[in-house]
Amino acid sequence: MVENKENKIIEEQQPLEVEKEESTLEVESKENTKEATSLNVMHEANLEHVSNKQKVVKILVKVAIYAFLIFMAIIVLFPFYWMINSSLKSVEEYKLAVPTMWPRRLMFSNYADAFQVANLGRLFLNTLFVGVVSTALSLVITVLTAFAFARLEFKGKNALFGALLATMMIPGELFTITNYGTVTAFGWTHTFTALIVPFLVSVFYIYLLRQNFMQIPNELYLAAKVDGTSDIKYLWKVMIPLALPTLISITILKMMGAWNSYIWPNLVANDEAHRMITNGLRNAFTDASGETNMPRQMAAVAIVSFPLFLIFIFLRKYIMKGVSRSGIKG
Amino acid sequence: MVDSKHQWKAWLYLAPAIILLLIFTVWPIINTIRMAFLNNYSLQSEIGGATFSIGIQNFTRILRYKEFKRALLTTTLLCVITVPLSTILALIIAVCLNSIKPLSRFFQTIFFLPYVTNSIAIGMVFAAMFNIVGTIANFNTPGVVNNLLMALGFNPIDWINTSSTYTTNMIVMVIYIVWNALPFKILILLGGLQSVNKQYYEAAKIDGTSRFRTFTRITVPLLSPMIAYVVITGFIGGFKEYSSIVGVFGDSMGPASDKGRLNTIVGFIYDALPNLQQGRASAAALILFVIIFAVTMVNLYVGKKRTHY
Amino acid sequence: MEVRLQNLTKIFPSRNKKNPEEVVAVNDFTFTIPDGKLIGLLGPSGCGKSTTLYMLSGLQKPTSGRIFFGDDDVTELTPENRGVGLVFQNYALYPHMTVKQNILFPLQNLKGADKLSKEEMLDRAYEAAKLVQIDELMDRKPSELSGGQQQRVAIARALVKMPRVLLLDEPLSNLDARLRLQTREEIKRIQKETKITTIFVTHDQEEAMSISDLIVVMKLGVVQQIDKPQDVYDNPKNLFVAKFLGTPPINVFDGEVKNGSLFIGEEKVMNVSNVPDKKVFVGIRPEGFIVDPKGPLTCKVQNIEVMGRDVSIVSSNAASQNPIIRSIVDADVKLDGAEEVKFSLKPHKVFIFDAETEERIYLDEVK
Repeated sequence: MVENKENKIIEEQQPLEVEKEESTLEVESKENTKEATSLNVMHEANLEHVSNKQKVVKILVKVAIYAFLIFMAIIVLFPFYWMINSSLKSVEEYKLAVPTMWPRRLMFSNYADAFQVANLGRLFLNTLFVGVVSTALSLVITVLTAFAFARLEFKGKNALFGALLATMMIPGELFTITNYGTVTAFGWTHTFTALIVPFLVSVFYIYLLRQNFMQIPNELYLAAKVDGTSDIKYLWKVMIPLALPTLISITILKMMGAWNSYIWPNLVANDEAHRMITNGLRNAFTDASGETNMPRQMAAVAIVSFPLFLIFIFLRKYIMKGVSRSGIKG
Repeated sequence: MVDSKHQWKAWLYLAPAIILLLIFTVWPIINTIRMAFLNNYSLQSEIGGATFSIGIQNFTRILRYKEFKRALLTTTLLCVITVPLSTILALIIAVCLNSIKPLSRFFQTIFFLPYVTNSIAIGMVFAAMFNIVGTIANFNTPGVVNNLLMALGFNPIDWINTSSTYTTNMIVMVIYIVWNALPFKILILLGGLQSVNKQYYEAAKIDGTSRFRTFTRITVPLLSPMIAYVVITGFIGGFKEYSSIVGVFGDSMGPASDKGRLNTIVGFIYDALPNLQQGRASAAALILFVIIFAVTMVNLYVGKKRTHY
Repeated sequence: MEVRLQNLTKIFPSRNKKNPEEVVAVNDFTFTIPDGKLIGLLGPSGCGKSTTLYMLSGLQKPTSGRIFFGDDDVTELTPENRGVGLVFQNYALYPHMTVKQNILFPLQNLKGADKLSKEEMLDRAYEAAKLVQIDELMDRKPSELSGGQQQRVAIARALVKMPRVLLLDEPLSNLDARLRLQTREEIKRIQKETKITTIFVTHDQEEAMSISDLIVVMKLGVVQQIDKPQDVYDNPKNLFVAKFLGTPPINVFDGEVKNGSLFIGEEKVMNVSNVPDKKVFVGIRPEGFIVDPKGPLTCKVQNIEVMGRDVSIVSSNAASQNPIIRSIVDADVKLDGAEEVKFSLKPHKVFIFDAETEERIYLDEVK
């Protein structure tokens, strides 16, 4: 890998030089154009000259761009590669002074061990439970609220919606302090309730869905009214199918949020029975002497990362769509 | 449009959201302000029947705390370094992606990958890459980053272990945070680039505008709303930095020899909670809110001045 | 089904507190629509025609007044209990459903005794589709249809419930010119076949003229005139109606009645023996001019547009409210670069309106 990386750097330096060259070329070519316009006699000859040079410049620029992108892609991908590479090594191989680029012997047992040592199965189930329940409830609440704001008429609608949006400006940490006390007062510590209920309402998702609902022409609603469709049936039969992409985006982001949540679970429910997967990850692989079994830890990290990649591969469109409008993670 | 006599129906739809918001959003806002301005407030003492005088002691106290000042410095530094760095890098990558056709989608997918990760989990991978097994003078494994440095003829560096310095710790965090921040920024900026009318570029080409001038005079101004958006969200996220540091350093928020060295404002708030120092935490949260609010306003103001259309 | 509107009034409360003015969208509308007729509600935007339609559908409740379908007072009924079909300007087809699902949708809402079996629903849907000739397109999505086809689906969806009254809101305004003509005929045919009392709203006078049995002209919530199309054109009740109907539009002059004679400017153009002396507006339809060297009205020629059968003379006169006067005369007329033209007028194409009330002043000869 070291050699590889070196090569890459040399490759990267070359395009840089090329770029310099190319910029001087550009200056020249521009001067040429100037001359061409001033000296009519030279016109044709110069033009030919310019277009040839421009072709070369164009190709060099393309090469530079691809080289840069490849270099950046390698940097972006390297941690993932290193995670998988390390997770498949034996502890001895991992500790080599000059690391191997690929395990000499693939230690798939690391994955099984990681599963057992960190009790990942239990963590996985906990997280899945919290994720599914909170996503389902959250979707119901979001749909109902967004529908009311998008289609129903009531006094103080705009003021209420404005107030709702204003809360998005406030950092969530500010809520956490009191919610920690509230959850304790309710006796919810070390329960799934504490992990689910405080985060059921997301103003941002309500906003997102309401915007989507608003784009559905009001005439559809009126037409349904004339046909005697109830609000609930209209919501279910027309609005939800039409807003499905947004709902899928919300579902994925919400599930990812549960999968990646760390701070709140750490505060309110970090016991064996309710621990979430991220919380179980950090300290599970350090033994009594303080030494960490790194391959096993990397295997656990990989196990936690794979579901996210799978979701990404299959539902990329929805994630990117949701994310580009959100600016928030999870 | 439709006459609606049944307003109560709308409130029925809203009821679940409103009840939850009252408990978990509105009350916390009120309560945080209350706790922050009650001198020396602690939930435990309040339950015990203690009363508190109104004042700003919580604020004056935490502003004198060394831990808080350090957290404020670290958070600000991380913001000021990573936001411009990741924005510029993302802009360059986005422009490159926008200028190629073959493999463009393939590269887009790769560059988006860090977004769909667990920041604790991947933080652990970064820790592994920078980790030294042994001491810097006598190591078993220098870590893959040091391997690379040594291959290039440099001395290995203690990045995150016991003999590491604040500077090296911060470098690791900057690299990780920028790596993590790139996907979102690239996505937004590329989206912006793709919606820019191609005619501007054709006009510039006909005028013989150089590539660099096209970039600074056409691309950047036209993208300015997206850049402003990316910078604002970057700062907001940056001031709330916490879990990426947990990922690399663990709950200790620093190398074993100097725990809490890289603590952030959010970390400071959370540390105060189990210690039942809600007054202190509330004051810190309000300061965080004011900082985020101010930064957002400044950004919007600058953005408006810079956006010429 | 006869539809009766009785003192129908709709007042919208003001939206903002700074400007507490109420908007009277429809003011005291009383009218009986005969059974099985096609009625056009015509007027500029904001005249209350759509509000009237929405009140008929039940989507809006009148502030006062009553609506009867036959002998039933439907004023308090909700839309679904009135038995109306409504077709929207933008068709309002559910984009995620096929044509068939769209047409079936209203039937699936029927409850109790009206509930239909699956086969009955399908039969009805195909019947409606056949009526508007889209039975070949049942499995397509709305996005795969042309504007005209979407319009037919919307009509089929409105008809499938066998409504007592069919309401159409600007049904043609989203179609291009050629399709508009075609669909116009289509609506007329469907209405004739089904014999459903149909009310449609439009701002296009040509559209209203061409298919309505009766036209209701509205302005600012007040009904101006209800008549057969040709009568509204030939015999407008006031200046607004005269101006609103006709292309090219009517020419309006400032005039005066003195001693039983009508003057435009200094020129005496007609005898109006029964009218007392006063200031008036004189409306002359473009086809009401005759080029006549001995005619009483003198205009400056600006331009002559030859249109085959006819010639359109664009001219000007100091008394004209518009900078140009448009007259349509026989193509045989030759003007040969003359700077002035003299017109005599066809009396039944000349309308006189009170300058203050803008109401029509009827002449003995015409009436």
